[in-house]
Amino acid sequence: MRHFVVRPLAALAVLSLVLAACGSAAESTAPTVAPGGASPAPGATSAEPCTITFGAAVSITGKTAKEGGYVKDGYELFKEEINKAGGFKVGAQQCMIDIKYYDDTSDPDTSAQLVEKLVTEDKVNLLLGPYGTNPTFSASAIAEKYEIPMIEGGGAGLKIFDRGYKYIFGTLPAAPNYLRSVLDLVIQTDPSAKNVAILAQNDGFALEVAKGAADYAAEKGLNVVYNEQYPVDTQDVSSLITAVKSQNPDIILGAGHAADSILIMKGIKDQKVNAKAYAFSVGPTSPDFRTTLGTDADYVLGIGPWTEAMKFQGGDVFGTAQNFADMMRAKYGADTYPNVPYQSASAAAALYAYQKAIEAAGSIDPKAVRDALANLDLQSFYGQIKFLDSGIIVKPQGVVQLQPDGNTYTVYPADAANGQFLYPAPAWDAR
Amino acid sequence: MPVTLIGQSVVNILLLSGVLTIVALGFSIVWGVMNIINLVHGAFIMVGAYVTYWLFVLAGVDPFLSIPISMAVLFAIGYVLQRSVINLVMRAPLLVTFLLTFGLEIIVINLALFFWKSDLRAVTTSYSGSSLSLFPDASGNGIEVPYVKLAVFVVAMVLTLLTHLVMTRTRMGRAIRATGMDKDAAQLTGVKIAQIYAVTFAIGAALAGAAGALIATSQSIQPGFGGSYTLRAFVIVVLGGLGSIPAVILGALVFAAAEVLTGLWQPGLIQAVTFGLLVIVLVVRPSGIAGKAFYQ
Repeated sequence: MRHFVVRPLAALAVLSLVLAACGSAAESTAPTVAPGGASPAPGATSAEPCTITFGAAVSITGKTAKEGGYVKDGYELFKEEINKAGGFKVGAQQCMIDIKYYDDTSDPDTSAQLVEKLVTEDKVNLLLGPYGTNPTFSASAIAEKYEIPMIEGGGAGLKIFDRGYKYIFGTLPAAPNYLRSVLDLVIQTDPSAKNVAILAQNDGFALEVAKGAADYAAEKGLNVVYNEQYPVDTQDVSSLITAVKSQNPDIILGAGHAADSILIMKGIKDQKVNAKAYAFSVGPTSPDFRTTLGTDADYVLGIGPWTEAMKFQGGDVFGTAQNFADMMRAKYGADTYPNVPYQSASAAAALYAYQKAIEAAGSIDPKAVRDALANLDLQSFYGQIKFLDSGIIVKPQGVVQLQPDGNTYTVYPADAANGQFLYPAPAWDAR
Repeated sequence: MPVTLIGQSVVNILLLSGVLTIVALGFSIVWGVMNIINLVHGAFIMVGAYVTYWLFVLAGVDPFLSIPISMAVLFAIGYVLQRSVINLVMRAPLLVTFLLTFGLEIIVINLALFFWKSDLRAVTTSYSGSSLSLFPDASGNGIEVPYVKLAVFVVAMVLTLLTHLVMTRTRMGRAIRATGMDKDAAQLTGVKIAQIYAVTFAIGAALAGAAGALIATSQSIQPGFGGSYTLRAFVIVVLGGLGSIPAVILGALVFAAAEVLTGLWQPGLIQAVTFGLLVIVLVVRPSGIAGKAFYQ
């Protein structure tokens, strides 16, 4: 009965076809407004109510669904609060804002397609960014093509900004700088810490983080004893951990996203790899890191351009960093956001940048808004917002530590610190 | 240190192959008997993981004790799904079953996203993360065998053995294998194949449920995590070959060895190597390393 059996080769061919189809399928979430909600031209008369529509393709599903959710929650909170406060001031008029979302499934190609759809079919006025360096990289090319500004709070890779584009602005610090503050903090605390191991996800952003960290470590006279990449949808890192352990590192750095940071930390505990400091580019500042790892998350370092402990304030609807965090908890629940991740703040900051730029330009004409953005320099709940010519924000990274009392403290830089840096992390057997 | 390194790698391979065996087992049975490449398999694994997670969080049930519950829930889901939907396309061409199961996968994942959100979740028990140190040296460095992963391995092997016994020693198992060999002949001898297909699909789903429960103990879960396991199950089944349970174990072992050894040497190439193996096997020995034409 051989004819009954599916030939594996044929099956593989069909499987790859189906997967390819799935990669490009645009699974859009329901828009938050009825379609066709393009605004009547604001700034003309103040007779009828106007609405400025922003478009965003964010990862609601896929590998970075979690972080995409933080970004969307930040956008949504800002939208709600600013509309309560009367909306954006456009010339003599006050305009409500609206945001139309699509799910880019964490896929760069899909992200670009959906941004094109937002511009050409949905006719949104201005663009907001997706989450992740690769989706932002491809989506920003569409923004440039149609000459519509895009401010993004979810992509930090330098490759987004080194193409000479004029319409992309980012509110996250550049990826190569991500883990530098961690190295600064550790070597200023313990000059004897010498060996650094770096595990990086094979993804545009993570590779820049890893390279930036490796270069900086070398510059500071440290030895990079391990520096390897793992595939994007990895489910098992045991062999990498075994290899790292054989190098006896003092500092273990992970450059990746939340799910793999958790996987690596579990592996480190499983194989009892005793380093003096553990740090991850993304993960420790997201609430899931603590809830999934429990006490194994203690002593882990994370980084963030923003934490609620930072003493930022400005004239935005939130006023201070602390107030932004409280409002996030009020809207989404304290269980969802015991610590508010910086991705939500950087997303909300993107909308605040739009608010002030539109105010300065007196219109929502894309070119006028772009020019106003390039000249922006203001203080906010997110700190200073000022973009370099390339479009990326000027901003240092802070370091946070998850501590045994269950809280997350900002431990670096010293002037923003609200906790003592606990070092070295105790050996696993001694905990 | 090299001795520890080799020992640790052997442990890593064995532990990983245990999980992968249980991941691929149900997929293999459904493919071998029903001729369906079940793309919803990974979503079943995900649902099994969530059943375990919720039982742990809401009722404090130990993840290992909740395995039978996960299996029962998935058995029921699998049975109903086969009777109501998949049975309609049992004699349709391959592409139709592919598209149907692919569509079902998207539905299940999106329902999970709707109800449970995309939060990363994990079952963290009091004994999570403790491990057995084999041959420790003076500084306490040895071959680490995490208790949870060891338990996962043992449970996976016990379930595989039980499945083997069900398939070979029971009337139902014999009827399932007979249907896989020749459904028309089986029907002539009085086997109710509609019933058999539903039970087979339900067994496949129940094994996915067990795999999900086991995976939840050692990694964080979210609604989309199952997809990469569907792909791995496919590679393992092709590597080992369709048609028997030992072939699944062999396929899982080869896959785990390729993944762990590549990871030790050049982790960036893990997927290139494992999928490269798939292509080599398809070219050199399309029936798989130990494959046969039907389930036995």
